[in-house]
Amino acid sequence: MSNGFNKPASNILTRTYKHGSIIYFEGDRSDVIYILKAGRVVLTSIKVDTGEEIKENIKLGEFFGVKSAIGHYPREETAQTIGDTTVLVVGRADFEKMMIKNVSLLTKMLRVFSNQLRRIHKMQREILGEGETINPATELFKIGEYYFKSGNLQQAKYAYKRYLEHYPGTKFSDLAMQRIKTIDTGGSNTDFQENAPLESEDDFDSRSGNNVDLTDFSIDNESSSDDSGSQEMHDFFSDDGGDNILGGSSYHKEAIPTRQKDITEMFYEAVSLFSQERYKEALPLFQKILNIKTLKNDSENRIFEKAHFEIGRCYLKLNNIKDAITYLSTMIKKFPRSDNVKNAFLHIGMAFESAGKTDKAKAYYEKVISMEPKDSITKIAMKNLKAI
Amino acid sequence: MIFDDKLFEKFGVEYAPNEIIFCEFEPGNEFYFIQSGQVKIVKIINNAEKTLDILETGEFFGEMAILEEAPRSASVIALGHVKLFRFHRDNFETILHGNPQLAYKLLMIFAKRIYDQKRRLMILLLEEPQLKVMDVFNMLAEQDPHLDLQEAITLKITPAEVSSWAGMQPKDVQKVLNNLNQLGKIELFNDKIIVKNIRDFQRVVTSKRKNLYS
Repeated sequence: MSNGFNKPASNILTRTYKHGSIIYFEGDRSDVIYILKAGRVVLTSIKVDTGEEIKENIKLGEFFGVKSAIGHYPREETAQTIGDTTVLVVGRADFEKMMIKNVSLLTKMLRVFSNQLRRIHKMQREILGEGETINPATELFKIGEYYFKSGNLQQAKYAYKRYLEHYPGTKFSDLAMQRIKTIDTGGSNTDFQENAPLESEDDFDSRSGNNVDLTDFSIDNESSSDDSGSQEMHDFFSDDGGDNILGGSSYHKEAIPTRQKDITEMFYEAVSLFSQERYKEALPLFQKILNIKTLKNDSENRIFEKAHFEIGRCYLKLNNIKDAITYLSTMIKKFPRSDNVKNAFLHIGMAFESAGKTDKAKAYYEKVISMEPKDSITKIAMKNLKAI
Repeated sequence: MIFDDKLFEKFGVEYAPNEIIFCEFEPGNEFYFIQSGQVKIVKIINNAEKTLDILETGEFFGEMAILEEAPRSASVIALGHVKLFRFHRDNFETILHGNPQLAYKLLMIFAKRIYDQKRRLMILLLEEPQLKVMDVFNMLAEQDPHLDLQEAITLKITPAEVSSWAGMQPKDVQKVLNNLNQLGKIELFNDKIIVKNIRDFQRVVTSKRKNLYS
């Protein structure tokens, strides 16, 4: 890392050393940073995992002793000179000033540090066996349960919502949705029921980055046979999200304005009815959401988008294949970047399958299988395809 | 380091008291900077909410999201009304270029964390359960420069936290702790552990570590 400074600030000291001098020892505590001005410096350290001795040459103009000085911990290496050597000694405050004036060096250093940190994390994970012992989905649900039982209902609701959003279709989806409903209807932990024991489960998918090109959907008129679709609980909405801060217009309060609550609640209610297999009652609620003309923010946009998907599923459950396909394909056309696109393709495939159009069903399942990421939706498509 | 209103319009978010900002185990893509107010960092340990830290104006949290998308390691809850900046990993570099002070602060956080995580790695690399537990105590003793290591020292740590640092199952940690307790090397309490002779633990671990390498 070249520092790019030729004229040192006034309170930076210059120090000269003879050959073989130690500038600092491993284990020393100090808050100064060095820049090699002339001569040679070798850093000697021990590799944590192998005990190997590592020697590193400092280049002219390069900093050394940075991490331990700014992180306030003992030196991790011994610095020794080779030949007559001159170094600049910089205090923490001066170092900060220098770095702030040189942002590209600063970001370069940040990148080096973050790579080191990532490597350390990777080694930790390797030793710990890739975190096999804990399943984040189950753990997140358990946090919801903790807050629910302790009566912190808003916090519980947050955890359940995030669980449904990030780990849709996993073990406790129904229970989480039930809990949210209990909280929303003013229920408390008194109607808490014991549920299945929490075990680790491996079905943990994240769906993001589906950016799909649209292929044909021709809608068939026939509808027949029963729906043997997956019981996968679909993901809920979130009231904030990563992508909206990229949009630039994202300032929003977590405090929910009144009208948003209406659409939010409508959606909750509809999804809840759906999970109780009360499709006929869920349908008009989804329809109502679709009829809303003005959407206020990202959160409402997302509910609006999800309602398109849910109504398609609802029609599928009611064996109205034509409407199911219409709504699902509308959803894909209207929201091609939605996280639900892949799932919508799957359901179109299921709709065609129900209608006995196995060729079309196959084509859609194959499309789903070709889409990234490979997740639980991929698995369902593979299973359905195999069964045809 | 307080940012201006224009930046707040773009990246600002506000939270009411007790609102969760993010939750342990949810995936994280954003890091936060506190513009005003306080937040608490909590973890649910042994069915109780434990406050690990309280952060104030000018501090960061969630910065590990910059490096990789991994589940959050703790929850963050607003203590009072708080104003935060929320930055997505994807525009990390742009933000840093506009805010070198913020970048420097992150550099310090990363430097510290590299050390802490390397230290933890050293614990994980030990093979025997007893050594791992001893080295967790050693690490905690190193972190507090005010401790007199010649005397018995009191470490504010629970068995659950020991198992998390050591990467061991709680029941295995408990076995080791009971054993050390019986030998009179430590005293166990609900919220703290007293180590009678930490120098002894340091010596044992150092010599074993040397053997491990050779």
